[in-house]
Amino acid sequence: MSAGRILVIDDDPQIRRAMRATLTARDYQVTDAKTGEEGLEKLRSGAFDLVLLDMNMPGMGGIETCRLIRSGSEVAIIMLTVSTSERDKVDALDAGADDYITKPFSMPELLARIRASLRRLPQPPGQADLGPLEALGVEIDLPSRQVTVRDRVSRLTAKEFDLLSYLLARSNKTVSHRELLQAVWGPDYGDELEYLRVFINRLRKKIEPDSSKPQFLLTDAWAGYRFHLPQ
Amino acid sequence: MTTHSIADLAVPEIRFANKSLGKNAFRVAGQVVAALLLIAAITFVFSRVIPVNATTTGFFYLVVILMIAATWGLLESTIASVAAMLCFNYFFFPPVGTLTIADPQNWVALFAFLATSLTASQLSARAKRRTQEAVARQREMERLYSLSRGLLLTDPTQPTPNQMVQNIAKAFEFPAVVLYDRSSNQIYRAAEGELPGIDMKLREATMRSTSFRDQKGNFTIVPIRLGGQPIGSVAIQDCSLSDAALQSVLNLVAIGLERALSQESVNRAEIARRSEELKSTLLDALAHEFKTPLTSIKAATTGLLTEPTDELPQHQRELVSIADEGADRLSKLVSDAIQLARIEGGKFRLNRGAHFASSLIAAALRQIKPFMDGREIKVSAPEDMPPVWVDAELIEMVISHLLDNALKYSPSDAAISTEAGLADGRMIICVSDQGPGITEEEQRKIFEKFYRGAAQRNLKGSGMGLSIAREIIDAHGEKIWVTSQLGGGSRFCFSLPIAKESNNE
Repeated sequence: MSAGRILVIDDDPQIRRAMRATLTARDYQVTDAKTGEEGLEKLRSGAFDLVLLDMNMPGMGGIETCRLIRSGSEVAIIMLTVSTSERDKVDALDAGADDYITKPFSMPELLARIRASLRRLPQPPGQADLGPLEALGVEIDLPSRQVTVRDRVSRLTAKEFDLLSYLLARSNKTVSHRELLQAVWGPDYGDELEYLRVFINRLRKKIEPDSSKPQFLLTDAWAGYRFHLPQ
Repeated sequence: MTTHSIADLAVPEIRFANKSLGKNAFRVAGQVVAALLLIAAITFVFSRVIPVNATTTGFFYLVVILMIAATWGLLESTIASVAAMLCFNYFFFPPVGTLTIADPQNWVALFAFLATSLTASQLSARAKRRTQEAVARQREMERLYSLSRGLLLTDPTQPTPNQMVQNIAKAFEFPAVVLYDRSSNQIYRAAEGELPGIDMKLREATMRSTSFRDQKGNFTIVPIRLGGQPIGSVAIQDCSLSDAALQSVLNLVAIGLERALSQESVNRAEIARRSEELKSTLLDALAHEFKTPLTSIKAATTGLLTEPTDELPQHQRELVSIADEGADRLSKLVSDAIQLARIEGGKFRLNRGAHFASSLIAAALRQIKPFMDGREIKVSAPEDMPPVWVDAELIEMVISHLLDNALKYSPSDAAISTEAGLADGRMIICVSDQGPGITEEEQRKIFEKFYRGAAQRNLKGSGMGLSIAREIIDAHGEKIWVTSQLGGGSRFCFSLPIAKESNNE
């Protein structure tokens, strides 16, 4: 019984070797690809739980690959980046990655992030009572992870779904950044404000009738975010 | 001299062609002689060859004088008029062969003839002058047009003022044109040979914003103004331009200089932008090249170290730890070198984002962990504080430099602490040590480049940590300071701006 199927996309053979050796030893099933194109090909022909994607690759590049993967799949994606700059981090998350890790990283750190990405939010008590939500012309069907806004249907990724259902279960209450990060990503998180910024924006694009004037997902300055449920 | 001035007025194109005044006089004299010869010929023909009456002769004289006035000028026709009058009197009025006149009626006729011929010559000469002036203006216009074309089509790879003087000299056929550009304090010349003293006069004309003539080289020196301010001056040798044309040339030069100046500043900004882009591309590539092998080393060492203890014997674990820490050290050095290259020169863009002070401190602690030698650093950063709006990489670098300093300059058993707190709407982050402290005099100097405390000259490091820290904090528009007393330890603090609500979106 494998812990998960991981696709490693990185142009550096040494990194692929190190990943394969360490991750296989941790019971993951590892497949690797040298380029973004090859990675997409492998994703089409096989089922994976998670993609480790290098940001800086010749050819298509990590960001473009990430966007293409995301356009047809909700698989978890962790981006591997050399740069620690704010811009690159936000670019990676904007392209649809669930998380990123900065090279060089330690294995325990990577393993923790893989676990966090594969981990699903336990169903919070009472969430089962949340039937399909309909308000302001927006229809959110949690069990099927489907959102309909003005007849436009979009699907949520696992992390987007967890974030939304966590906020929805506490609607009309402000949830702090740290609480949100630790609940959705895991106990090792809490400082990654840019994750929330990007994920909330991604969610707003999917569920708000006008994402520049949010009516559901509201920002409470400094404090956190709040799901506004019209009474 | 009067001859010259009349000739100058009557024949402006002669001045244009830059003929010398001596040559000019020679030509006028020739024309006068020719006019006199013409009068003599008519007199000879009508008195000796075909004798006709006095009236016919008089009209014929008038026709020839009009033609002289129309083709040559007022001087020639005036002299011819007087000569014709004398010949008329001598050869045709009785008593013939003398200058006396018997019949008083002939006096009237003779004066009527003289008055008519003089008036007619003047009218005709004036008409001719007008025509010549009109032609000269037209030529000026054509030359101005070709000059403005030349100025518009300047070659961007050559200095514009240089091309301007060449263009002016070429368009108007001036022997020498010299331009002084005040903004660059440069003199540009289109001239053969030396022009002694002209540079001084150009600067003077610009300074005083007045025009004057230099008699020695026949230079006209005029200031170039733009919006009332003198921006330079130009000296033209043998300038024959009308005031209006000269003003047009000056306006063209003023616009040209201004355009060149603004083009230059655009170019400079473009070059700066491109070199910054190139630099950051190079740094990204460098970071990638160094960090890729480090990543596989780190993956291998940390992979081994997370094996269960019984699978990796103690001495092997120790050896792998050494490799692992070496990789950490190298990684920190590479990051520092790249960040340093980025901020070097003082011009760099901040990648600001909203970050918690606690996470910035935690990241800095992770970075200096391989340098800590097991020493402990106390951290106090409440988690309920608002985030700050900063370039996280650079602020982490500041904190790690301060921590690194504290580790270096305090005894290995002394406590080091770092804390973050709010004061006056800003975040203040401090690093304190219990080292020997810094004298007041040294406190002023330690943020300077390469400065190192008097007692610490043998320590490793570049001595640039604090000056880099100050540069980064300056770029954020914030302050960094130190409080210390000898024997009482030191405390370095800096302020950071709190993220606004709009920053978080």
